[in-house]
Amino acid sequence: MTTRPRPKMFTTLAVPAVLLVVAVIASAGMGAVRLSSGAVLRALLHPSEAGETGIILFTLRLPRVLAAGLAGAALSATGVLFQGLFRNPLADPFVLGASGGAALGGAIAIFLVPALSFAGVGAIELLAFAGSLLAMAIVWSVAKSGGHFAMENMLLAGFAIGTMLNAATAALELRQEATNPGMRILAAWLHGEITVPSWMQISFIAVIEVAALILALPLARQLNALALSEEYAAQLGVRVERLQILVVVTGSILTALAVSLGGLIGFVGLLVPHFLRLIIGPDHFRLLPAAALSGAVFLIVADTIARTAFAPSEIPVGMLTAFLGGPAFLYLLKHRQWRSSR
Amino acid sequence: MTSVLEFRNVGFAHGVQTIFDRLSFSIKQGETVALMGPNGIGKTTLLQLAAGLLRPAAGEILVQGRELKQWSRRQLSSCVALVPQSLEVPFAFRVEEIVAQGRVPHLRRLGGLCSNDIEAIENAMEAVDVTKMRNRVFSELSGGERQRVKIAIGLAQQPKIMLLDEPTQHLDLGRQIELMALLRRLVERGLTILAAVHDLALVRESCSSGIMLLPDAPAISGSLAELLRPDLLERAFSVEAAGLNRYLAREPLTMREDHPFSPGPDLADGNGKNQEWKGEWKELRDRLLRREQACRRWIRHPQKPHRGRFGEQE
Repeated sequence: MTTRPRPKMFTTLAVPAVLLVVAVIASAGMGAVRLSSGAVLRALLHPSEAGETGIILFTLRLPRVLAAGLAGAALSATGVLFQGLFRNPLADPFVLGASGGAALGGAIAIFLVPALSFAGVGAIELLAFAGSLLAMAIVWSVAKSGGHFAMENMLLAGFAIGTMLNAATAALELRQEATNPGMRILAAWLHGEITVPSWMQISFIAVIEVAALILALPLARQLNALALSEEYAAQLGVRVERLQILVVVTGSILTALAVSLGGLIGFVGLLVPHFLRLIIGPDHFRLLPAAALSGAVFLIVADTIARTAFAPSEIPVGMLTAFLGGPAFLYLLKHRQWRSSR
Repeated sequence: MTSVLEFRNVGFAHGVQTIFDRLSFSIKQGETVALMGPNGIGKTTLLQLAAGLLRPAAGEILVQGRELKQWSRRQLSSCVALVPQSLEVPFAFRVEEIVAQGRVPHLRRLGGLCSNDIEAIENAMEAVDVTKMRNRVFSELSGGERQRVKIAIGLAQQPKIMLLDEPTQHLDLGRQIELMALLRRLVERGLTILAAVHDLALVRESCSSGIMLLPDAPAISGSLAELLRPDLLERAFSVEAAGLNRYLAREPLTMREDHPFSPGPDLADGNGKNQEWKGEWKELRDRLLRREQACRRWIRHPQKPHRGRFGEQE
């Protein structure tokens, strides 16, 4: 059997990094007012002289592009972490009930306390962030009871809590008048629509996200040993329970960050790591940074299509990732010989 | 000879079920000890206790004279390697990537593999003859190939003690003999082995002593002559003693005389019938020679000088 050598670590980082820069510049130029890449670059280098271009770029385009990038990076990095943790390529960032908590938080914000805001961050984002962290904390405490920390309990609890919270969201939705403008906002948000965040929000999220990703790197290496089995990892000197706790905490924070930026965007955390594994192999240490960069590129491109392809209206990017991601994923699954020829 | 692994009055229970009560034995450096007993008696549990994966409820376990509690997890992992019964790997990890995991206890937090690590990985793969399949996906290997990769992980750890849980499982007759010969050679190089093995004929040929776990009776450790007695085996496995006599009297299996692994001809000997190596056999012989050398390189600081099987002075 012939096997291709794995690409070098440098290549796995450089290629998506270059693509990311290209994607940011090209995406920032696209929209109702078209800007050339040159104009975007000039405005970026000399923001004070940019004039009208600068206003479009810095108040509308760039925040949204960066939001898409940050959300995509967080989702696919979490995908890598959770898939390694559960030793299952089908685990996704929402597996621990985060989506249910975020949905309920968002719904409460829209219908009950729309005026809430903190440091320039709106009610939906705040409560969604809080909701997803809270849901995962509950799942966590349920799974941990009995002194021993069992991964299957965690999955089952995540499923149960997620279903309960989704029911609560539906109940809240049913009590509203059909004409309530919040209904449309909630729908968009549940389908994963990236809004234009404030620079305050972006910098806040970027700092936490980068820190979380850096902290996750040593964990990713230990996930390789965990891939053999919990027993094997322990035998190799990995403190398994500590690793599992750290991965869940890091993944939960990253998911909550992504949710607060763009609602519930599915498939990114599933598709990007799976696709990358075909190219660079399953080593989590190489996969994590590559997945973060590629996830950012993927969601920036998807969001650009979502906001420009059907102009003047927009569709939620989560809908687009499901539309494009679903078939792409099925195709990859069907062509398993890809897998064996690696 | 110092004892490298010692159990002193160890007690352990899974929930309410007592597995061990006052289990004591001691293994000396360079021994190959067979762990025998019926299914479900606690052989795997004993190996996990020795590897520090489980904590004894009572008594103490000493590795190289130091109590297990005094070892750091990573130190222990580079001294004691456990080769578990089964290994299932999700994702398409390749054989060399799997074997490289054996270096985990030796790595610094963010450091990559250094030349020492790479050498250890190469030697480990060569020693169990999996170098050829280094780029194959682990989950697509056959049972016997997986078994060898598992042992390669253990070798890459460069341990002093190797705990094997049914290492001959899934191996064909010839491979079983090869594996036992490999283990013997590693023992000659200073490794100490404790292996749970079911095939008593194999135990008799290749182990130096044994531990027999018995239902409703304290475990017995001692020489094989003391342990492989029909009355004891009858108690352990509830089989007819008369049949056991015939079973134990079985002729040991050896490889064909013209096979490079036959105990008769010397591989390095270029004379006589060994001149006729050609084709497939020649390739196999070359591989075995390489493997032999890998075994020699395997421990960086050999504990005792050793005259190689092929008559070459170290």
